[in-house]
Amino acid sequence: MFHRRKPEDFSAELRAHLALEADRLRDEGLNDIEARRQAHLNLGNLMNQEERFYEASRWAWLDQLRQDIRYSFRQLRRAPAFTLTAVLTLSLGIGATTAIFTLIHAVLLKSLPVARPEQLYTAGDAKHIGVYSGMAVDWDIFSYDLYRHLQDHTDGFEQLAAFQGDPRRIGVRRTGSPQAAESYIAQYISGNYFSTFGVPAFAGRVLNADDDHPSAAPAAMISYRTWQQKYALDPSVLGAPFQMNGTPVTIVGVAPPDFFGDALRTNAPDFWLSLAMEPTVNHGNWVTNPQLHWLYLMGRIKPGANIRAIEAQMQVEVRQWLTSRVSVLGPTAAAQIPHQTLHLRRAASGIGLMRANYSTGLELLMAISGFVLLIVCANLANLMLVRGMARRRETSISLALGAARSRLTRQALTESVLLAFIGGAAGVAIAFAGTRTLLAMVFTGASYIPISPKPDLAVLAFAFAASLITGLVFGVAPAWAANRANPLDALRGAGRTSERSGSTPQRTLVVMQAALSLVLLAAAGLLTQSLRNLAAQKFGFAPDGRVSVRIDPNLAGYKLDQLEPLYQRIKERLSHIPGVMSASYSLYSPMSGSSWTTDVSIDGQPPAAVDGQNLCAWTRIGSDYFDTVGTRILRGRPILDSDTATSRHVAVVNEQFARRFFPNQDPIGQHFGAREKFEKAYEIVGIAEDAKYYKPEQPVMPMYFIPRPQVTPYDNAGTMSFEARSLYVNDIVLRFAGRAGSVDEEIRRAFAEIDPNLTVIWIQRFDKQVANQFSQPALIARLTSLFGITALLLASIGLYGVTSYSVARRSKEIGIRVALGADRKQVVAMVLRNAYTLIAIGLALGIPLALAMGRVMGSKLYGISWYSPAILAGAGIILAAFALVATIAPARRAASLDPIQTLRDD
Amino acid sequence: MSTRVPLLQGTLDLLILRTLIFGPQHGQGIARSIQQQSEDVLLVEHGALYPALQRLEAKGWITAKWDISSNNRKARFYTLTRLGRKQLAAESSQWRALANAIGRILGPETTKS
Repeated sequence: MFHRRKPEDFSAELRAHLALEADRLRDEGLNDIEARRQAHLNLGNLMNQEERFYEASRWAWLDQLRQDIRYSFRQLRRAPAFTLTAVLTLSLGIGATTAIFTLIHAVLLKSLPVARPEQLYTAGDAKHIGVYSGMAVDWDIFSYDLYRHLQDHTDGFEQLAAFQGDPRRIGVRRTGSPQAAESYIAQYISGNYFSTFGVPAFAGRVLNADDDHPSAAPAAMISYRTWQQKYALDPSVLGAPFQMNGTPVTIVGVAPPDFFGDALRTNAPDFWLSLAMEPTVNHGNWVTNPQLHWLYLMGRIKPGANIRAIEAQMQVEVRQWLTSRVSVLGPTAAAQIPHQTLHLRRAASGIGLMRANYSTGLELLMAISGFVLLIVCANLANLMLVRGMARRRETSISLALGAARSRLTRQALTESVLLAFIGGAAGVAIAFAGTRTLLAMVFTGASYIPISPKPDLAVLAFAFAASLITGLVFGVAPAWAANRANPLDALRGAGRTSERSGSTPQRTLVVMQAALSLVLLAAAGLLTQSLRNLAAQKFGFAPDGRVSVRIDPNLAGYKLDQLEPLYQRIKERLSHIPGVMSASYSLYSPMSGSSWTTDVSIDGQPPAAVDGQNLCAWTRIGSDYFDTVGTRILRGRPILDSDTATSRHVAVVNEQFARRFFPNQDPIGQHFGAREKFEKAYEIVGIAEDAKYYKPEQPVMPMYFIPRPQVTPYDNAGTMSFEARSLYVNDIVLRFAGRAGSVDEEIRRAFAEIDPNLTVIWIQRFDKQVANQFSQPALIARLTSLFGITALLLASIGLYGVTSYSVARRSKEIGIRVALGADRKQVVAMVLRNAYTLIAIGLALGIPLALAMGRVMGSKLYGISWYSPAILAGAGIILAAFALVATIAPARRAASLDPIQTLRDD
Repeated sequence: MSTRVPLLQGTLDLLILRTLIFGPQHGQGIARSIQQQSEDVLLVEHGALYPALQRLEAKGWITAKWDISSNNRKARFYTLTRLGRKQLAAESSQWRALANAIGRILGPETTKS
């Protein structure tokens, strides 16, 4: 209704009054000077008037805040050591939390940079990766035929797009360029992919439905990142012909700079091709074979559509589609049709590939950094309290002089929040550097890191909120203390008291810090031990002195009948590299991140009743393979050069396979196959020791190894397709005498000699390949240890502070004790007893907390139970040892007090 | 010079409102007008005037804006609002009733000899 007046306006009014009044007095006959003096007298004290106006307005509040801030700055400047310590601790705490939040935000929370992401839904949770040909149960992966079926029959979607769930490498070369083909990630997408996301092209045009047609001119889109990094934003790339796996393709558009696809992934696509291009570029039959499931779905629902209704409709459609294919699927699969289902999920932040991999780890780290921040708060609250005690006299005088208690409380809070903001600003800088390091550690070995360490608005808002809350949390205790100050203390000579060690809030804080440190130390101990177990486990192969080379002859256009000579040539040529003891190859090497699995049918045993019951890993290998990777053959023989395409079909199985399927029989001489009716496909000729091929934390699966060229003519198109694809084995393994040095050049030269079109996708030392599999647990264990040590140091500093403070305050009491005959040992014991009482309470509180934390982490641990008394005891002993170090100096100081001196003081 | 009496507590607001019934006026003018109309009996303390104006403005009984005075000076002019008018009517009758009652109790004025 009315605007608040400014003080200036009020002053102006008073000045106007003076002028008018002087005018009047002059009219009455006074001279000028007298008139003005009289006017002033009549008005009374001008300042007083203004003061009264001002007090009642909110300007006072703002101004007081400004005063408080200025005062706080002055206070902080007066104690640079305190300020520096506080800012450093705060920046560490806030920085660590913000860094973890940056990751959480990017991986778990952030929406895709697309139009109206909240309308996007996907089917399933991306549990199946790659190409799958069974009954998915909870369907998340789809064949092209099934996708079209769903697209044609579901009503609730504005658009339903499909795309390759696991984009792979292809060889790409600009036509006419003198350089050899390089490997890039390509993703096959349906024609409506970009229009479903509502993403326009940055330059050129997006792929559309016309491109997704077998007779369409081959077209591709390039990602902005690749365009920038590999082609320096060269505009002539648009419309230029490229060779993709030897097929000519024209680049028709560039995707927007912020668009990274349908999910955060380390294999973010460099190129997008329409689904119709798969047969030509991939030399495959993924699009044409209805049995191969390799597409994820992304649908944009119609506004107001009912998700549950769409979901129910799609469940029915999946079952209908399967039922229409019963004759191909066979009776076992047909029996499972009623159990097949499908669930729609929100996909505003994309397909949850990384979510699944990282969410537990990230949440654990967030909890841990939250603990550290709490300890930081406790420590600072302690420091502030000690400062508050030192300033008690000052506070009492202020109160005695008439300062409002509310004002003093506010002042104390202002100071802590201000400190927190300074710390927060430094923390954001630390978070930026920290996130960068974290990302490099999380994505070790990745060619592309899909997350930017730059703090965005949400991260800054988080840091701001974290600082504010931190400031309030650690400021409450000192503010409360300021509020309780007694003005009489000013008159009494404050600071002389003989109360026991520290004040209650201070002691509570030390107890809390001790408890939290114990939790973190115990967690760090568990995770470190789990990591050690992971790394020190018996892998069943020898990581040292081995190198793996990944290639893909399929991409170079090799036909099936050209493969045997190629692999023989590779094996022969690479064996001649100096230092190489032996060379062999397999479909995939151990711990390379790949795995091929199938259900087996054992001769003389009933077939699997449901999918996955007889699940085995399998691979194709060359001769000398077991020697080369360092896996021992326990019985029988390995795969030999004499096992050719036409010889008897044989297999080597691992111990797990033997135990699982032949618990009471000799497996050698037994037969099995990958499908029903093919139980006689392979004869077991040897047993190899168990070796870890897939995830280091998972138990070894039953596994079988067959000679690379031996093909079984299965009667099922899906199985046959895998059979054909598996002949193109990818990993060449080399064993060196001693450690493998820098052999990359040597290896590349050898491949260039064999076939310049054969793209080398990667060359990796085996030990590195294995270590990459632990990068995430290693990161979490290392960070937790780092946080644990920080917490321990902070808690020790806190204990040191409280103890020295209490010694200083009790100097008189101690002096009296010494004067009355207490000896030094008794004094030291007394101080230590006080400190250890706090630590003991901290332990008592920390142990159940640590156990609860271990319980939560249980599933992340390998080879160690969440209940580990040894680790808990270790953490307790470390804590006690640090407490001893922290208290011994103040205790000695107490013991060396001169009683005469202390009693003479004051 | 006649005797001047200070204002009774609570009467200043009423007098300000009453003064403004003749049209917009600035603070000094209000003080002056009260003094004149009471034939110089009532003394308006200028120091109390402005906080009172502030208060009345906050209550919405008067509004203010800067304007030029008759002798060409910039001044803040106050105007009675409708709410103010109502308030004036209510307070006036209250005051009259009170003055009457007190007058009856005190009886006719006795002159000092």
